[in-house]
Amino acid sequence: MKRYDCLKLLAPMVDKHMFTVTSLSSNTAFWSSLRLEGANFLGCNMGLCIPFALGLTAAFPDRKVIALDSDGSLMVDTSSLITVADVNPLNFVAIIFDNGSYARMGATFTTRRADLEKIAQGAGIDKTATVRSEEAFSASVKQAIDTAGPHFIVVKVEPDRERVKGDPHRTYGRAMREWFMDAVRHHPDYKGK
Amino acid sequence: MKRFDCLKLLAPMVDEHMLAVTSLSTNAPFWYNVRPEGPNFFALNMGLCLPFALGLTMAFPRRKVISIDSDGSLMNDSSSLITVADVNPGNLVAFVFDNSSYAFMGSTFTARRTDLAKMAQGAGIAKSGTVRTLEDFSAAAKQAMESTGPHFIVAKVEPDAGRVAADRSRTSGRPMREWFMDAVRRHPDYQVRR
Amino acid sequence: MDQQSVQVIVETLKEQGIDLVVTLPEEPTYALTEAVRQDSFFTAVTVAGEGNGIAFCAGAALGGRRVAFVTGVAGLLVSSWALSQMGMVYGAPILILASYRGDFGDHSGIPGSQLLMFKQVAEPLLGALRVPYRVVNQKATLKRMLQEGSFACQDYSHPIALLLSGEVLW
Repeated sequence: MKRYDCLKLLAPMVDKHMFTVTSLSSNTAFWSSLRLEGANFLGCNMGLCIPFALGLTAAFPDRKVIALDSDGSLMVDTSSLITVADVNPLNFVAIIFDNGSYARMGATFTTRRADLEKIAQGAGIDKTATVRSEEAFSASVKQAIDTAGPHFIVVKVEPDRERVKGDPHRTYGRAMREWFMDAVRHHPDYKGK
Repeated sequence: MKRFDCLKLLAPMVDEHMLAVTSLSTNAPFWYNVRPEGPNFFALNMGLCLPFALGLTMAFPRRKVISIDSDGSLMNDSSSLITVADVNPGNLVAFVFDNSSYAFMGSTFTARRTDLAKMAQGAGIAKSGTVRTLEDFSAAAKQAMESTGPHFIVAKVEPDAGRVAADRSRTSGRPMREWFMDAVRRHPDYQVRR
Repeated sequence: MDQQSVQVIVETLKEQGIDLVVTLPEEPTYALTEAVRQDSFFTAVTVAGEGNGIAFCAGAALGGRRVAFVTGVAGLLVSSWALSQMGMVYGAPILILASYRGDFGDHSGIPGSQLLMFKQVAEPLLGALRVPYRVVNQKATLKRMLQEGSFACQDYSHPIALLLSGEVLW
């Protein structure tokens, strides 16, 4: 199953007032080409996608916040799952694209023995799933968006063939932050200055 | 059940050539109390006990290495469980004394919804479980010490009453390291790779 | 930390509109985080690791919440990676209140070799991570330091750290 095809299925389910946070690798490049409006925090470095998204749920409790993470990134800080379970935010959805490898190198391995869904359950997140087909992905994600969470979905995908790059002025670092903050400041629920 | 009673049961199962590693809190002084001699690395800070012990298994593959950790410490770096499963060392026995709190403060909580043994299983450590009585602790420890691991045992214990004194030159920091290295250099299996 | 300092900090956080306080409990600041936890003005979040704590604060802060992270030097070390991203790359306004373990006057009883490490590392670490900081060790200037720190944090849009020490902490 391909990551891009899953993200294409996800995009129409995300309304303009929802928030998304992506990890590095093709999550960022692909997602930035599929969801052009709304507040997207792109290119979070290893281990930071889920906790950052969790923090966003505290700022926007009435909107879905969707973390699009990767196996290697989550593995750097699985303790964040303990915090997710403990905070227990209803508007949180984590989608982990698990291709069993690190990006942009030769062959590497990540989750040889680890089952990220089971780790999440051990951490205390009850609403979890692992999906391997587009039908299962669609059904799982629809349910996560339509019901109270926190939700945790592992998506088994093949490694991407080519390296894909997003527009560095929109998808990374300080430049991305400015686009994100602009969207945030225009959000109807924004309470900051 | 009490942490100290568990450690008292464990100590006689640990022979002079096995290695032990402890986290902070009472794990260090209690373990020093019951097994003062031999290669012990005491009082590793948060998140470091398990991965350090894992490293020791690679230096002493024919000896049991016992990790004596705490819930808060393991939770700080739970990703170490994935590494343990992936390396899959037969000689690792990892204990986590889980009193569901951080030490020496008023009341705190660590993992209100978390099941550490389940996380370990999710990480890929098949031989993992939780014990709540001394009998179960004894049985689980004995089984772990006598069979191939890695083993991961969560022992649910009550918070300790207070601080425990122990000789700090033996259980902390650089002085502790010197005692540890002395024991390691005398170990029959010790091999320095040049 | 005595109740006098706790009250000044709690009161000033409220005045600054900081209603989200994140921590991984540690002894020197326990009285503060406990007071926060029991005060319904605040949302108190306990994290399992300081790295995910800083990232959490960044998400909330960029999302418009006023947030404080209460930790110690050990927590700063653990969260260095997260601070490098959330501070240097993204400029998330997080007010960090960190106990300055190892500073002169620390009689907490932690072994000296650990305290020495904390003392040697704390300020250069914040410098390396480009986190502006101040050492706050006098009760007489505590309130003002908090006000100034909070203002700077928002103004710079960047994490800032107040290292609590001396009579404020012990």
